[in-house]
Amino acid sequence: MSEEILTTEVVEEEPQGPSMAVNLGGIAMKNPINTASGTYGFGWQFEGFYDVSQLGAITTKGCAAEPWPGNPAPRMCDVYGGVMNSVGLQNPGVKGMVAEAGEYLAKLAEKGTAVICQVAGHSVEEYVAAVEQFEELAPWAAGLEINISCPNIAQGGIAMGSTPDGAAEVIKAVRPRTERPLLVKMAPTRVPEVARALEAAGADALSVINSIPAMAIDVDTRRSKLSRPTGGLSGPACHAIAVRMVWEAAQAVQIPINGVGGVSSGRDAAEFILAGATSVSVGAANLWDPTCAPRILQELTAWVESQGVDDVNELIGAFEC
Amino acid sequence: MPQPSLARVHEAEVVSNVRVAEGLWRLVVKSPVLAAKLSPGQFMSVAVPGEPLQVSRAPLSYVTCDFDAGTVETVYTVVGPGTEALSRMEPGSTTTILGPGGHGWKLDAFTKRCLLVAGGVGVTPIASAAQALGLQGLAYDVVVGARTGNALWGVDRFLTYGADHVVVVTDDGTAGAKGLTTDALEAALPEERYDLVLVCGPEPMMRKCAELCAEYEVACQVSMERMMTCGFGACATCVVPTVNGAVGACMGGPVMNAAEVVW
Repeated sequence: MSEEILTTEVVEEEPQGPSMAVNLGGIAMKNPINTASGTYGFGWQFEGFYDVSQLGAITTKGCAAEPWPGNPAPRMCDVYGGVMNSVGLQNPGVKGMVAEAGEYLAKLAEKGTAVICQVAGHSVEEYVAAVEQFEELAPWAAGLEINISCPNIAQGGIAMGSTPDGAAEVIKAVRPRTERPLLVKMAPTRVPEVARALEAAGADALSVINSIPAMAIDVDTRRSKLSRPTGGLSGPACHAIAVRMVWEAAQAVQIPINGVGGVSSGRDAAEFILAGATSVSVGAANLWDPTCAPRILQELTAWVESQGVDDVNELIGAFEC
Repeated sequence: MPQPSLARVHEAEVVSNVRVAEGLWRLVVKSPVLAAKLSPGQFMSVAVPGEPLQVSRAPLSYVTCDFDAGTVETVYTVVGPGTEALSRMEPGSTTTILGPGGHGWKLDAFTKRCLLVAGGVGVTPIASAAQALGLQGLAYDVVVGARTGNALWGVDRFLTYGADHVVVVTDDGTAGAKGLTTDALEAALPEERYDLVLVCGPEPMMRKCAELCAEYEVACQVSMERMMTCGFGACATCVVPTVNGAVGACMGGPVMNAAEVVW
């Protein structure tokens, strides 16, 4: 075949899929797939499995102003339809995280994947200190996710995020310290009223939900299956509860929702979007199916096409009762 | 950026899966790429399809890989619903395995003689070391212990793999000497024949072995058993306290320098 014939051949255009870009409270995402903090390390752990820059965003492991040792082992156990964890937010501190992964995350941001850094703290002052460190050390961060709902730490965490006043106090304190979009990782407790308080306090988006406080007992030894009496349940068992809470949050506030909880497939992600989520975090499934996030993106894209729309945004909150 | 895990998800088909001793099952899977990649002391994470009580993967050590047949052999213990469901997997059934995980034994770290100490299901990674040492023609002996004679597996393997001496101990004396593997180690170390000890077994046993080796100034490597939910450094579940801080057993192990573990 001569060159001439080749050049005169009609070049078929690549089939155009639906537009998958979304905006999560000021964070531009090329598609709605995000990852849940605590299940995704600092992102580089997944580079052996696939090109992470396919994803719309990643959310990094929560980091505090100082390193935290986390809880003793055992930190994770299997339960029906999911896992329970009591990691206790072990982290190297913001400085340690930036030293380990800052260069990688800066490159990931350059490739168009939003890097959302989760912020941990035991007190309002610690959250503020960590936010200030991210401001100084992480110019590549597209947004910060304030974790006020960890069920596995003795102070802070879920104790602060379970009431409208407690949750709002943290966000009011950190809000003046950053112009970056602020997400809040919410506890699965009093969702509509806490969501309204967070919106009023200046949050740009809400991640709904964190793992659900739960308990698993080894009946032979009569001991907890974790190093503490309770832990946080995640995985498929959480999904239906999380969908309901995303829907409640979306009814309660105007700011966008990032749906988190038990997503293993594109259809699970689609449920969150129909319930009102703008983006969807893949969580515990990353741990046992490390190639799942790009697959879920493909499945979600196919679902958007199957719905006969050309933009995923048309399906946000399109649930019909 | 730190080096990500070399583990990948591999298709696998069950070739055989039978009980070989009290509480111990032997699983052979066909997974040629995985079989070519595993090295002694590494681990693999096996999915248990269709078992709602085990949605995460079960982390297992392995005994041998057969490159020609493309198979991996492991001996595992049934400790809960997940491994119980694994023990029900029939030949011909398929699953996926994530591996190879972590790093294994450093078998070039001695000049005189190596002593392998296996307790219970710890026999599995110890057998992988034994075969590798035998193939390299290196001198080693084995102490293998179990609760009772019926729960013992691997003695003939160690002999096949070229161990010079295999000392058997059981808690109840129904096979070999009555006693603990640590008793046998304590008896062996003063002879000054060994300059490396490899250990896998229950944590109190490994701690005692580490203490004895420190006392006699003999290098000791331990294969740390932890619940590894992901197996590639993302979940921070399998931490081991060390002199260098908390280290994940999946990436910083499972084989660790016993002198660095804070027991």
